[in-house]
Amino acid sequence: MGIKISLKYSLEALKKPIFAEVIRSTSAQVNILYASMDATRGEILAHVEAPPLEIDRIIQLFRERGVDAKKLERVAELDRDICMDCGACISLCPTEALHFTREYSVELNEEKCVACEACVPACPVKAIKVTKA
Amino acid sequence: MIEKSYDEINQKIRDGDVVVVTAEEMVEIVKQKGPEKAAKEVDVVTTGTFGAMCSSGAWINFGHSDPPIKMQRVWLNDVEAYTGVAAVDAYIGATQLSETRGMEYGGGHVIEDLVRGKEVELKAIAYGTDCYPRKSIETKISLQDVNQAVLCNPRNAYQRYNAATNSTDRTIYTYMGTLLPHYGNVTFSGAGVLSPLHKDLNFETIGVGTKIFLGGAQGYIIWEGTQHNPRSAFGTVMVIGDLKQMNARYLRGCTIYRYGTSIYVGLGVPIPIINERVAATAGLSEEEIKTNVIDYGVPRRDRPVVREATYAELRSGKIEIDGKEVQVSPLSSFKMAREIAQKLKEWIEKGEFTLSKPVKLLPRDTVFKPMREIAKVPLVKEVMTKQVITAKPSDTIAYAAKLFAEREFNHLPIVDEKGKLLGIVTSWDLAVALGTGREKLSEIMTRRVITAREDEPIDSVARKLELHNISGMPVIDPLGFVKGIITGSDVSKLLGRK
Repeated sequence: MGIKISLKYSLEALKKPIFAEVIRSTSAQVNILYASMDATRGEILAHVEAPPLEIDRIIQLFRERGVDAKKLERVAELDRDICMDCGACISLCPTEALHFTREYSVELNEEKCVACEACVPACPVKAIKVTKA
Repeated sequence: MIEKSYDEINQKIRDGDVVVVTAEEMVEIVKQKGPEKAAKEVDVVTTGTFGAMCSSGAWINFGHSDPPIKMQRVWLNDVEAYTGVAAVDAYIGATQLSETRGMEYGGGHVIEDLVRGKEVELKAIAYGTDCYPRKSIETKISLQDVNQAVLCNPRNAYQRYNAATNSTDRTIYTYMGTLLPHYGNVTFSGAGVLSPLHKDLNFETIGVGTKIFLGGAQGYIIWEGTQHNPRSAFGTVMVIGDLKQMNARYLRGCTIYRYGTSIYVGLGVPIPIINERVAATAGLSEEEIKTNVIDYGVPRRDRPVVREATYAELRSGKIEIDGKEVQVSPLSSFKMAREIAQKLKEWIEKGEFTLSKPVKLLPRDTVFKPMREIAKVPLVKEVMTKQVITAKPSDTIAYAAKLFAEREFNHLPIVDEKGKLLGIVTSWDLAVALGTGREKLSEIMTRRVITAREDEPIDSVARKLELHNISGMPVIDPLGFVKGIITGSDVSKLLGRK
C-alpha cells in the first residue's frame, strides 16, 4: 500500500539536498513521478511505499526542513458524468490505471496512476483531470 | 427455406409477440440452433454503435429577421456554417473548428449544445440586396427558436474500420487518436459484434427508407453513405433525423487531440430476420469479424498493413505486434453501443417502433475510388541528392569543418562502417561546438535524427521540416542505410516550379 505525496519547495529549500537527507533516513520505497523547478520555486510528486506511521514521519522530516509536504488523496479524477466509456485513454496509460470493467465501463485505479497525463488531452470529451500538487 | 415479410413482423410487433434480440444475443442463438432455426424463432435483431463520425452535421433554418438578411456567411458560437444555399438555411458540420477556440470547440460541440437546449450565438454577414437589405446580424438562438433542425450525416456507421498503429519513432496524432512510437499502442473503431451494417452484411434489408435509432430519436437511412464500399465490407449509410427530438446522451461533440473536432453519434439499425441468410450474418461473432491493423506512421493513402486482427482480439485489450504485447484502445464506446441496441429492442417490444421496408436496397457493388489527380506529387527519391557525403563518429570536428567549407553543404550524416545512419551533424552544430574543446563528431552529433524515406511524398517532408524546424534530413531505407539527403531548398525549388 503506497501513497502519493506532494512536495513544494521554496527557493531557499531548493538550495539544500533535502530529498537526499530524508531518503537516507528511511527504508521506504520512494519513486519520483514528477519534478519541476523554476527561478522561484520547485515541486515534486512522489509515490511512497511504507507503513502509515513511516509516511507521517517522512512528511514531518520534509516539513522540518522547510518543504511544504502533504499527502495527496488523489492525483487523477475521471468524471463519470462526462465519460462516455469509449476507452481512447486506455492504451495510452502506461500503468493500466485506466482499464475496462467487465461491463466495458472505463474505470480509474487511482492507486496505480503515476500522473503522466497522457490520457488528459487524448480524452475526446475532457473527462479526466490530473492534479500534481 | 424460411421467408418472412415486413408485414408479418410488424403485425407481431403490434400484437406484442415479436421476438427481438440484440446482435450479441443472436450470436449465441445462431451458434446453438443454426441459422435456419434462428430465422424461424427470431424476428428482429437490434444493433448499435457509438463512435466519432466526422461526416455528420445539421441543416438549420433560422427563420427571417426584420429587415431580412440573405446570409453570405454565418457563425454559430464562432464556428462557421455553410450557407451557400437559400437566405437563412445553413449546414453546421461536425469538424468545422471555432475561429476563436480552435480545436477545443467545433461544429460537433455546437450540435451537442443545441440538443442540450443551450443558447447559441449567431453572427451573420451579407452583401445586401433590394429584397434582403440587411448586411449583418448578431443574435442568440436555441433549438426551439429555429424552424427545422435536421441532423443529416453523409457517411455514418462504417461496417467495420481499420485498426491503427504507428511504426515510426515519434508519437503521431491522427483521427484514430494518439499513436505511440514503435507500435506502442493500437486503436480501433466500430462496434464489432453490434456493428449495424455488418449484421446485414449483404445488404438484404438495409436501404433507402429504413427506420433507425439516431441520436436517441427515430431517424432514417436516406441513401448509401459516401465512400460506400460494400465489396470490401466497408459499407456506409447516409442518415437523417429530427435534431429537436434527439438526446445529447447519444450525440457528443468531441476533440480528437491535435487532429480536430468531430461528433460521437449513437446509431442503431433493426435487422428484420427475413430469411436464414440474414440470420447467419446477424449472428456473426467478433471472432468472425476481421480487420487490418494499419501503420498510420506512413503518410500515404495506401498505408501498409501490419497484421490482421479479429474484433475479438482487439476487444481483448492486447494484441501482439513483432512479438511484443501491445495495448489496444477502442475509440467507439462498446458500452453505449450495447445501450443503443438494448433501447431499440425495448422500443420494438413495446410497439413504439415498427420496421419500415426500404423503398430501394443499397448497392452491393459500388467501389471507393481514389481522387483523380492530374499532377503527381513528387516523391523524395525524385528530388533528393543521391551523392551523399558522410562521416564516421570517430572523425574529427576539424575534418567535418573542412568538408563543409570545400563542398558547400550543411548536413553531414554520421554512419557506421556499413553505411547505417547513426546521427547527423550540421554546419550550425559545428559553429556551436567551436571553442568547447570537443574533438570527435560523436560528441556533437544529434542521435535522434528526423529522416525521410525514398517513396515519401515531398509534402510530407515539407511538413516535417516545418514541424521540427530543421533545414534538411537524410533519406534512409527500411534498414537504416543512407540513400540520399533532402533539404528545404530542394523542396522549395520544386514547389516554386509548380
